[in-house]
Amino acid sequence: MTAETQTLVRPMVSVEGVDKWFGQNQVLFDIDLQIAEGETVCLIGPSGSGKSTLLRCINHLEEINTGRIRVGDDLIGYREKRGRLHELKEHEACHQRVRVGMVFQQFNLFPHMTALENIAFAPIKILRVPKAEAISRARTLLERVGLAAKADFYPSQLSGGQQQRVAIARAVAMRPTVLLFDEPTSALDPELVGEVLEVMKDLVRTANMTIVVVTHEMGFAREVADRVVFMADGRLVEQGEPAQVLDSPQNARTREFLSAVIR
Amino acid sequence: MTEGTVVTETGSTSGRVNLKTRSLLTRENKLNVVPVRHWGRGVLAVVSVIVLISVVLGLWTNPNIQWPIVGEFLFSPAILKGLGTTLEITAVSMVFALVLAVVIAVMRISPSRIVSGFAAGYVFIFRGVPLIVLLIFVGNLGLFFQNFAIGIPFTDITFWSVPVKEVMTPFLASVIGLSLAGSGYMAEIVRGGLLSIGRGQHEAAKALGLNGARTLRYVVLPQALRVLLPPMGNEFISMLKASAIVSVIAGGDLLTVALGISGSNFRTIELLIVATIWYLLVITVLTIVQYFIEKRTAER
Repeated sequence: MTAETQTLVRPMVSVEGVDKWFGQNQVLFDIDLQIAEGETVCLIGPSGSGKSTLLRCINHLEEINTGRIRVGDDLIGYREKRGRLHELKEHEACHQRVRVGMVFQQFNLFPHMTALENIAFAPIKILRVPKAEAISRARTLLERVGLAAKADFYPSQLSGGQQQRVAIARAVAMRPTVLLFDEPTSALDPELVGEVLEVMKDLVRTANMTIVVVTHEMGFAREVADRVVFMADGRLVEQGEPAQVLDSPQNARTREFLSAVIR
Repeated sequence: MTEGTVVTETGSTSGRVNLKTRSLLTRENKLNVVPVRHWGRGVLAVVSVIVLISVVLGLWTNPNIQWPIVGEFLFSPAILKGLGTTLEITAVSMVFALVLAVVIAVMRISPSRIVSGFAAGYVFIFRGVPLIVLLIFVGNLGLFFQNFAIGIPFTDITFWSVPVKEVMTPFLASVIGLSLAGSGYMAEIVRGGLLSIGRGQHEAAKALGLNGARTLRYVVLPQALRVLLPPMGNEFISMLKASAIVSVIAGGDLLTVALGISGSNFRTIELLIVATIWYLLVITVLTIVQYFIEKRTAER
């Protein structure tokens, strides 16, 4: 999707003027970011630049201090009434989160459930999908991430790459409209990164989802992203099509970062 | 309270290490080695044997202990009924204590200071007050509260009311006392278990749209209970032993019955031996059960 069409379509994710503080520490400065429906955006930047924090704000794992975040029609975390923000009740916040899936750096699979149970559990309990249907869909998803044979394995019996693929299937099983990836390959041994990236590429190509990925995998960003966003020191520094940002960065910070990462 | 666990764990590990060393030794047994003599160990072994023999002989040949009486009462209906009551009191108290402990532990980690403060106070009181004092309090509840009543607090409106003295049997008092005391300890164990579940698990549950209660029910508690099983086994064994204290309010348990019989035939030591044999037997069985539960938990 090009820059022109973005402005025509109403954004799926809209971040407006967001500041975020951790105690005395400001970690996000006046972030503005619009992401169109079906767009794939890669957030890159040095560690501590606030990319993960921004991602976590989008599904309200972190609270923002100023600004607004919208996903579709939902104002994330709040209801605006007569010019004042009212914190959402727990069930309303949960309802919002169902539409936004998340894949974590540390996988965070539930260790007391098998791979299959990890995937089918939330659709059964939250979406009230009939059990048989949820399980057959979980099997389909496991097959899709190449783990059909591991359905009854516990997370501790799987490699990091396999766990992360199950975690991706778990997030997809909830049929989210927006899927967030928080450094999905950073905790993996180098030889396991490829299999996870393959699953993600497949997802980008085939699933009709808006996808935001915080990543250090520049090759992945170049291949699948519609847009690359570079962040540094809590600020959004530069963004554009992958080739443009990665090959001819305009900003000095971006150049410095990229020359350090791409050797 | 977790001593038992630690001991078995170290025991099994060192056992494994020994096996390894031994197999290594047999392979390289061609070395002709004169082992070091451990004189201290030898002396201790001899002393141990002497102590053991003198204790056994001292009990067995003691003219003041009539062993036939021990044999006579070991399987007497009264003693068996007392044993049944002991097991019943322990099991019922354990269930109540566990439920209370989970509730208090969850309250203890509540963001509300009043709620967590209440839970902290609960733990402070029921862990701090000696069980025997607590039992006497509960047993004599009728002395300072006339009625159990359900109504609107701080008003005279009551929907249901029953005199304490009518319902407070020694059995009920025993169960209440043991449950309260046990729940104080167990709440802290459960809290430890709840806190041992990492932030990632909470966030993963949240991201899937689970609310706090569901996260607790489906994600945190199942994992925490697995961690809690071994220490809870220890608590069960402690509670079985602690249940002997209910004899001070005539709880009808094994010790109450044994002391009751000795009150009429004056064979105090013989009946204490009867009770001791049963306590040790039950605890042996429970320890074996616990060993297998722990083994299964560790395998997962």
